[in-house]
Amino acid sequence: MLRERLRTVGVRAACSLASSGILPARLFFTVVLLFLKLLTHTALRLPQHRLRLRSQQSPQSGLGESRFLGHLLRTVEQACRMTEQLYTVASDSETTGEDKSQMSFPDVAIGIDIGTSNCSVAVWTGHQVELLKNTRNQKGMRSYVMFKDDTLSAGVTGGATQEHGHEERDILSGSAIFNMKRLIGRMDTDEVVQASKNLPFLVQTLGIGVRPFIAALVNNMWRSTTPEEVLAIFLLELKALVEMHLKHPVRNAVLTIPVAFSRFQQTRIERACAMAGLHVLRLMPEPTSIALLYAQQQQQLLHDNMGSGIEKIALIFNMGAGYCDAAVTATAGGVSQIRALSGSTVGGEDILQNVMHHLLPDFDSLYAGQTMDRIKSIGLLRMATQDVIHKLATQEHVEINVDLGGGHKVSKILGRGEFEKVNQAIFEKCEGIIKQCLADAKLTPEDINDVILVGGCSKIPKIRSVVLGLCKKDDSYGGIDPLEAAVSGAALEGAIASGVTDPSGSLDLLTIQATPMNLGIRADGGNFAAIIPRNTAVPARRDMMFTTTHDNQTEALIAVYEGEGKQAEENHLLGYFKITDITAAAKGTVEINVCMDIDATNVLRVFAGVVKPQGQAIPPFIEVRMPTLDDGHGWCGQALAKMFGSTLDLAAVPKKLHP
Amino acid sequence: MASFASTVAPGGCVAGVRRCSIRVSAAMAVAPPPPATARTHYEVLGVGAAASRGEIKAAYRRLAREVHPDASVSGGGVAGGEDFIRLHAAYATLADPDERARYDRAMAGPAAMLRRAPAPSFRRRTWETDQCW
Repeated sequence: MLRERLRTVGVRAACSLASSGILPARLFFTVVLLFLKLLTHTALRLPQHRLRLRSQQSPQSGLGESRFLGHLLRTVEQACRMTEQLYTVASDSETTGEDKSQMSFPDVAIGIDIGTSNCSVAVWTGHQVELLKNTRNQKGMRSYVMFKDDTLSAGVTGGATQEHGHEERDILSGSAIFNMKRLIGRMDTDEVVQASKNLPFLVQTLGIGVRPFIAALVNNMWRSTTPEEVLAIFLLELKALVEMHLKHPVRNAVLTIPVAFSRFQQTRIERACAMAGLHVLRLMPEPTSIALLYAQQQQQLLHDNMGSGIEKIALIFNMGAGYCDAAVTATAGGVSQIRALSGSTVGGEDILQNVMHHLLPDFDSLYAGQTMDRIKSIGLLRMATQDVIHKLATQEHVEINVDLGGGHKVSKILGRGEFEKVNQAIFEKCEGIIKQCLADAKLTPEDINDVILVGGCSKIPKIRSVVLGLCKKDDSYGGIDPLEAAVSGAALEGAIASGVTDPSGSLDLLTIQATPMNLGIRADGGNFAAIIPRNTAVPARRDMMFTTTHDNQTEALIAVYEGEGKQAEENHLLGYFKITDITAAAKGTVEINVCMDIDATNVLRVFAGVVKPQGQAIPPFIEVRMPTLDDGHGWCGQALAKMFGSTLDLAAVPKKLHP
Repeated sequence: MASFASTVAPGGCVAGVRRCSIRVSAAMAVAPPPPATARTHYEVLGVGAAASRGEIKAAYRRLAREVHPDASVSGGGVAGGEDFIRLHAAYATLADPDERARYDRAMAGPAAMLRRAPAPSFRRRTWETDQCW
């Protein structure tokens, strides 16, 4: 039934767009494709719904279902509007900016910072960036979606709870899904997913490289969902909040993402946004949005005749609940250059887990299985631990007394030294990230003018001392709010990317972005040949020569990866394609050119084709937009290896060295 | 196929056919001076051969504002960032003392045969595939 309804909505919308002339034929295809995608997405969950309805003929549950379907339908309708909107954007940019000023309403992209734990949204109001508050007067809203009886509610409005004190307890009841930023676009073999298994909601893994099964507890039943869907519901509420404030519809958004996000994860974020009716104008690595804010402040100083106008170099360290990243930016005259980026999946969540295991050493054995008692006990321990970590930022010792039920109690005094020892591996990882960033930027600590510390974990004294110590500084840069910087930078970028100009020149800024990870292909056996190395300025285009590894090899497999590993399999597989019809020849004589291109909007395209030795390219070539993989990339690389072995392998042709 | 005449390494850039008529050979920092590219790194940056590092940086920043696709001031450079890629390659080579020395040596060798490359071709837009799913 749902499927039929979806199909009707989809096709009707597509047809009406086509017939009204808004939608040319080739876009009609896209719309249909879009709905097919949405259908397959919803179809996956259908059997469960039917099953549940049959097995439990409770009117309540039925009500919940219909409410849920309503949500999905709204999503589809939103997505439909979004397709129409994409077309408008297309025609906009093809007229190269001249008539961009004739906008019917101020269509400035909003800035969104979806954090693992907290989320905030900001807009450019015409002369400055303003963070929006929700109905409970919060700028930072908890990132979660509550699945309760017949309602779905996100943390934007405070979920089902009106009293703030109860919010955290409700989030940990098993009915709420949170930490979606850690789960999105990850496979069940991923250690981050494995570590998420002691969260109060259900994270089930099969360990075969497919997406994990995620479910929330509703009326004693696990109801399945996906991180994309949870994020989309959250974004829908966020969008409604912004529209209420601005009193006009919002379409475009700039979102911040961790440096460690793979391109595949980025497509998942884009998908969640599309489901919520938002068009992603840019996905900004978090530290680069802070770099933009810093550049603006430096430019302001110059206008006020307080700056010197010489190049200033800042190291930005950002650590939130789910990720941590660093960047080195060089800024002068409103132009900032991202010199280096590095990131990792360690964050406050890992610190929390470490401390929980430290407080209750037999944590895992005590709480195996997903029983109601376990969920309640873990929730209590989690809240107590969070409280301890916050207090340790200002106190040397904190006393914990918590009754977990079932005869388990935790009574302990935790000192700061002990806390730092428990989390030593995490602090070492932070050190590694900063060292790598400085080395990649070819800078010494003495070259750094300012150290900017942001994110929730930047309040932890040890983190501050590690970062400042490595940069040989006594104090960090003071002009930036650690919790509001990322979203403010995103809103600034939103205004700049929407073509807004400010008479005072405060938007006259340019950021030259850099690639956070190596991009390359598999070659020379299982090795990874990086074609665009990390920290290359964007837009970028690089190419490399490859050759065949067998005599009379007529086909070659181009498997595109992204990451830091020397072996291809250690990296994220983005996609693959074959070059066929290679002229039969002795191995090592044919030359195959692989070119990678990243444009200013961060779209990656891979070109490949055979070239003649004297330099003439032989058409046709192949152009592939990456990533092409939609799912299951955990086992795809292995499947390719199993199917083809080394028969379609390539070898890199070493660059000729010149005197 | 005039574009492929401008290649340095044995072989051409396959992307050239669709996207770039000028092979950005200078993108490879270790590459020798492109004998057939239109301009030298110094000409791209508009600085003299004796320019200081500071002058090179300043020129890079000034020109980036003109040719970077994100630069809001003008209509930007050529779509696809061809101009910016060329500018950045010039800057990356000249801002590094070692690579600048290597470049200068290579330039002094075989006299650079300057030939004007054809204007960059129109960049094809593929809206179907440009949408993210």
